[in-house]
Amino acid sequence: MAATTDDTDNAEHTDAPVPAPAPPRRRGGKIALAVSVFGELLITAGLVLGLFVVYSLWWTNVVADRHADRQGDKVRDNWAGGDSGPGSLDTLDGIGFLHVPAMRNGEVLVEKGTSTKILNDGVAGYYTDPVKATLPTSGKKGNFTLAAHRDGHGAKFHNIDKLEKGDPIVFETKDDWYVYKVFAVLPETSKYNVEVLGAVPEESGTKKAGHYITLTTCTPVYTSRYRYVVWGELERVQKVDADRTPPKELD
Amino acid sequence: MYGWIWRHLPGNALVRALVSIVLVLAVVYVLFQYVFPWAEPLLPFNDVTVDNQ
Repeated sequence: MAATTDDTDNAEHTDAPVPAPAPPRRRGGKIALAVSVFGELLITAGLVLGLFVVYSLWWTNVVADRHADRQGDKVRDNWAGGDSGPGSLDTLDGIGFLHVPAMRNGEVLVEKGTSTKILNDGVAGYYTDPVKATLPTSGKKGNFTLAAHRDGHGAKFHNIDKLEKGDPIVFETKDDWYVYKVFAVLPETSKYNVEVLGAVPEESGTKKAGHYITLTTCTPVYTSRYRYVVWGELERVQKVDADRTPPKELD
Repeated sequence: MYGWIWRHLPGNALVRALVSIVLVLAVVYVLFQYVFPWAEPLLPFNDVTVDNQ
């Protein structure tokens, strides 16, 4: 401080204000400069990490919901107008909608596959790998296995922990409402536990073949350490009427 | 670092402030559009499926 004051005083006396303050800054400042740049880099890193959180938990939802809404509209348009036309069963656009009142998130479009690319569009995907899902529309006994994001990218299964035994899970297709009832929950399992996807998922306590639905996502929230699994069994199938009146479980 | 950028921006304080905001927005755009989508799959926050890999 003293040096600076002296220099300023000198500068005032000699009437040369521009070159005078420069030397002290260089002399005492090399370490100070390094420290300040380092500090600014740390602050910048903190801001970037903060922005990444904003991106993960907010922006990806915005993008995914926008995409899912558009895709869902396309499917509904297809259903409405595609009664006789070809291409009315375009599975790439989505095969139906999942309604889970306990999750309080409206309808979730269901598409084929569980790759990152598909799930990032704010939809639920049915498994094709490692165990192929049995679609309810096939009418065969098996397991309709689904996955969706817990956080970000639409976060369609964020409230999976709100599901309890007896809660309805309704899958809507062009012609039918498939009403499932939750009968087992596995709050934490290894991500390698593909047994939960089996046609007869024994960990749920069942031993016989049936029409099952399985929801999988990651847990605890904001991480991917474990998987959360919810099983339901088909209770009834209700035909879609002209007004698409939802089944009473969705009221 | 930021002081250096500030000193090298043209114009008076108001112009510099405006240019700074544009620069910040550009950086945020690049992060959201390119950097974060690239980084996200590399981080273990968003794997939701069970698999045997």
